[in-house]
Amino acid sequence: MRGALLRDILWAALAVGASFAFYSLLGGFGPAALLVVNAFSLVVVTFSIGKGEVFGAILGAVCGLLQDSFSLGIFGLAGLTKTLLGFWTGYISRRMDVTPFFRGAAFLLVMSSLELGLWLLLNAFVLGERLDVRYGLVFLQPLVTAVLGSLLLNIARRIRARRA
Amino acid sequence: MPSWWKRSHILVLAGLVVFHLILISIQVPLGSETKYFERAVFFVFSPVQKGVVSAFRGVQSVWTNYFDLRRVREDNQRLKQELFFLNQEKRFLEDRLLLFRSEAEVRDNLAAFRSSLIAARVIGADAGNYYRSLIVNKGSLDGVKPDMAVCDRLGNLVGRTISPVSLNEAMVQLITDQESSVSVISATDRIVGIMSGKQGTFCVLKYILSSMRGGQEGEDLITTGFDKIYPAGIRVGQILSIRPTPSVFKEIVVKPYFSFSTLDAVAILPRVSGGAE
Repeated sequence: MRGALLRDILWAALAVGASFAFYSLLGGFGPAALLVVNAFSLVVVTFSIGKGEVFGAILGAVCGLLQDSFSLGIFGLAGLTKTLLGFWTGYISRRMDVTPFFRGAAFLLVMSSLELGLWLLLNAFVLGERLDVRYGLVFLQPLVTAVLGSLLLNIARRIRARRA
Repeated sequence: MPSWWKRSHILVLAGLVVFHLILISIQVPLGSETKYFERAVFFVFSPVQKGVVSAFRGVQSVWTNYFDLRRVREDNQRLKQELFFLNQEKRFLEDRLLLFRSEAEVRDNLAAFRSSLIAARVIGADAGNYYRSLIVNKGSLDGVKPDMAVCDRLGNLVGRTISPVSLNEAMVQLITDQESSVSVISATDRIVGIMSGKQGTFCVLKYILSSMRGGQEGEDLITTGFDKIYPAGIRVGQILSIRPTPSVFKEIVVKPYFSFSTLDAVAILPRVSGGAE
């Protein structure tokens, strides 16, 4: 039990590291792409579906705070939205079958859209300003998260099935 | 599943939500000042970010330098670097001439200016609001301190360094951030105002009375140096539109000269006691 948990934590740490490296590369070479691909959200949703709501919530908090540390906005906004994203993605995915690719993608699309909506709302509420959505580019983020997330989950499932 | 287990899940969520709400509510009255926790995370992870980008650039540069017209590439890079410094110097000279300084003074200032200029590369952008801040690969070990002006390749104002500044990385607040303020003057009609970020990639020139004459669309704006952060005479942007409002001030929208798409190398300028005379 403890060994499995430690292994999960190690995998999650590696995934966070990889997403941070990916975020750094995007920031250094094409900042606009950061609006479309949120690697941290991707890690949170994939681990939440695989490991459950508590794991998802804690990982969401870690990823969100990491994202906030490299942003000039209010520290904790992304932490809060990603905590909620991780928890509810894990909670709901336990109660419905999200294994098929399109169903999984549709589920992640809804969850990522809710996260983005909440983040925009909180920004508007706390900072009192409307964020620039770069001609709607930011609204592609949930779609990209959904497609990539569902793809990653399917690949992971296939690898696990082949090993078994 | 036992009920206490389910309850513990809700407690974890509630605990995390309360933690974040406290974190957010502490900051709101204080503005965007960085907290120790945030600073600590930045200090720990910024070298990782620099390492990743440097490694990628290293691999990229090995590939391009050795396999793609090596000599031409090297010459091109040397010339680009020279051009980078020349552009900064050109702007600096223009500024000094604008202020009617003597030739000897200009020469002395130029020598001092060149030696203290810090060339840096952009290694990260703000994931949430990318027109607010960016991260550069120079830190306190290179002489970077908070409140140093940052310009692009062509010497146009980009922003200023802000806390946190780690050993090898620094955060830059862009002039397009709504919380930034730059004291500027229009090049032709000499209107002095405070420029802040507007929503997105534009800025606004504040506190210009509706009754005040002058100011035209297309007019250049340069820094005054009154704010003691940005040296006088740096090119900032161009007035895009001027509209009267029901309030006592005009609404003046400014388009900054720097472009996000070409923002890969920047120059960090030394701090000046500044102020236009």
